[in-house]
Amino acid sequence: MKEVTLDCLGEACPVPLVKAQKALEDLEVGDVLVVQIDHSCAMKNVPDWAREAGHNVEIEEVDDGEWEVVIEKAK
Amino acid sequence: MLKKLSDTIAANDYYKVWLKDAWPYITGAVLLSIFQIVTMAATGSPWGVSAAFANWGAWIYQAVGGSVEKLYYFSSDGALAVLERGFFRDPPTIRNLGIIAGALFSVLIASGFKIKKIKTGKQVVAAVLGGLLMGYGARIGFGCNIGALYSGISVLSLSGWVFGVFIFLGAIVGSKMLVKYFM
Repeated sequence: MKEVTLDCLGEACPVPLVKAQKALEDLEVGDVLVVQIDHSCAMKNVPDWAREAGHNVEIEEVDDGEWEVVIEKAK
Repeated sequence: MLKKLSDTIAANDYYKVWLKDAWPYITGAVLLSIFQIVTMAATGSPWGVSAAFANWGAWIYQAVGGSVEKLYYFSSDGALAVLERGFFRDPPTIRNLGIIAGALFSVLIASGFKIKKIKTGKQVVAAVLGGLLMGYGARIGFGCNIGALYSGISVLSLSGWVFGVFIFLGAIVGSKMLVKYFM
């Protein structure tokens, strides 16, 4: 079980989503990907995609306008 | 005391649903439609955004001593009258300022305001290039995704649908380029 952090701060849509999709491909089931974002539309499309793909998702608000989307690869 | 108050507000369900979290797409769609109807009824024209930016460009150009009368785009009496009336008497300009102010208000009240860092030079190049292409495309196509697509379709014009098909094709090409050259 490893945890990978993906720094997408300062990146606008759709870059965080594309990067998160690529990063998750390289992980094993049970691994955790933490996507750091500060673009509010990525706060919607990244979790939407991950939940749709069947992974476990949690969103943490780390600061004003800054979030961490925690994705646990489920399959 | 203040900390306590802000914690209480942050934990309030109504605050979360109405002001903090993003509204569902369907809510946004219904509200945009209602405001489109209001805009049509009040002003006689559908909603547009980017045409005002061309006027901003013309005003800036005039302010530094340039002349736009000879340009085909501004050659009609209507276009010249709009430029004549000026920045603060151009309704689409005021509406654009309202959009910016409203967007700022919404992120402030959701405590989501943040000044983002520019990470790489590539981002700057992508932003400048994207802005130029969007601005040029919006004027040469007589509208952006609001004036030509959204308003076009809402007034039952075929041109809106044609614009929609090609904006999708353009977005596909644009996304591929973004992934290939700017990531």
